[in-house]
Amino acid sequence: MLQRIPYVAASLWCAGALTLSGSLAACVENVPPEMVEAIESLDRDLLQLRAAEVAPGEYAVFVHQWLTLRNRVEAEEDTIRWPWEPNDLEQALHHLQAEGAKTVARLTAQQEIDRHAAARQLADVEERSRAIATQVSAIDSRLILAEKPVETDLLLKQARAFYEQGRYEQSLQASDRASHHLTTQSALLQRELGRYASPDRIAQWQRMAHETIEWSKKHRTSAIIISKAERSLTLYRSGQKLLSYPVRLGFNGIREKRYQGDGATPEGRYRIASKRGRGQTQFYRALLLDYPNQEDRRRFLNDRKKGKIPAFRDIGGQIEIHGVDNELMAQTLGCVMLENPQMAALFERVDNGTPVTIVGALLEHNSVERALVNLSTRRNEV
Amino acid sequence: MKIRYVLVSILGMSLLMGGCAQPPADQINAAEQAVKDAQQNGATTYAANDYAKVEGLLAAMKTEVAEQDGKFALFRDYGKAEQLAATTKAEAERVKADAAKKMEEAKFAAAQAYQAAQATVASTLALVAKAPAGKDRAALESIKTDAQALKASLNDVQVLLDRSEYLAAQTKAKAIQEKGEAVSHEIETALAKIGKGKTMARKK
Repeated sequence: MLQRIPYVAASLWCAGALTLSGSLAACVENVPPEMVEAIESLDRDLLQLRAAEVAPGEYAVFVHQWLTLRNRVEAEEDTIRWPWEPNDLEQALHHLQAEGAKTVARLTAQQEIDRHAAARQLADVEERSRAIATQVSAIDSRLILAEKPVETDLLLKQARAFYEQGRYEQSLQASDRASHHLTTQSALLQRELGRYASPDRIAQWQRMAHETIEWSKKHRTSAIIISKAERSLTLYRSGQKLLSYPVRLGFNGIREKRYQGDGATPEGRYRIASKRGRGQTQFYRALLLDYPNQEDRRRFLNDRKKGKIPAFRDIGGQIEIHGVDNELMAQTLGCVMLENPQMAALFERVDNGTPVTIVGALLEHNSVERALVNLSTRRNEV
Repeated sequence: MKIRYVLVSILGMSLLMGGCAQPPADQINAAEQAVKDAQQNGATTYAANDYAKVEGLLAAMKTEVAEQDGKFALFRDYGKAEQLAATTKAEAERVKADAAKKMEEAKFAAAQAYQAAQATVASTLALVAKAPAGKDRAALESIKTDAQALKASLNDVQVLLDRSEYLAAQTKAKAIQEKGEAVSHEIETALAKIGKGKTMARKK
């Protein structure tokens, strides 16, 4: 019996060792490392999605929970447990992972929506800007808009830069401001040039032209009608159309002349005050008009009184119908310019005192009216 | 018997005194102040991600303090809260320094962009002054207006710089520079085409 004691002890020891190793094998780590890695990866995704900027509250909650849980993971790193033992840390990490994944998915989708919205708005506003520039160029009205086109262009460039940096919200804001600038430009053009689309005003211009032609008929003499929108000069003799030439106006000719240096071509009833032949003008031949007339002076003084014209501005003068000085001088400061052969033909057929009526437009559907309609249609579409 | 009573009293007192732990108010205040400093020094703009993490640390610290506050007095332990407060403070200071560095970099980049834009606009204005009253007077007047508008826009950049909005300032300055170069190119092309023309000085 005594001889069997070591054998029993050894058997017991072996059984104990087997039980212990079996138990250890059955134990598991408290938190699987791949779960921690997955959450770290989500955190990186959130950083890339600028979660701190676009969803600060949500990201703060994620960060807070992650920091808390990571502290616990580090604190319980050496803990092992039975597989059947409840593990609230793992459950909390699971929950955080699921929430983080949802946030990443939501922000990714949101980012794509923002990117699409910013791209679409930017393209729309850029296209609208080009369309307005085309209309403005077609009627030589760029100067009416002063610094606004540059401001709009700068905003569009900023919007494009923000878009390329992935800052879609800022891009939307900048293109939105550019859009407002374009609306202001359209409104300004409508205000400044609306008379070209006004039936009453056009009827008034037609009446002026008709009276001038009738005067020519009655007095069996010459009269000139200049239409700014049509860019045309027509010479009548005894009420009959004798010739018609295309003309160029002042660099801001489409506007109503208000003061010296504004580049606008005046509208009204004038007469040739003086004929300037070779050697008397630098513009080949010139017909000096009696601008400003009484009506021009009255309007100028009235506008100055109302503060619409600065006190230091003068009314201007020396408005002529003239030829071309040289190839460099293709536009005037407010005069009406013809090609030299045509100027020569006109010069021979008129005298001092010949009436010259300058109107905005003679046709209801003139170039300016068409441009304004296009701008208005575009604005309504937007 | 008397000695045993005294010993038990001393033990009880020391347990009570040791057990009634107080929140680390100074460390918590210091951590909160450090986070506030970081935020006031542009961390939300220039180190937004790191700042969000610091805010997370601050929230974790507050949660921990609240958790301990909720326990029975004898079982409170603010050791972890203290540790979190120290980490928050250290991180906030690091983020503040990092934001300051990034802000300086952005300021430098914005100032450089501003200088470049100023130089471009100056060169554009010089070209405009040289431009002849040439073939297209309206175009020339437009160019002049554009150049003046660019010059005026430089003030907007200065305003943004003064307001420490360096990223916006840089973007605007670059847009001005780009537009200035386009306007200069337009003038140079016109100059190359038509050469020098006569200047007109007539009353109109």
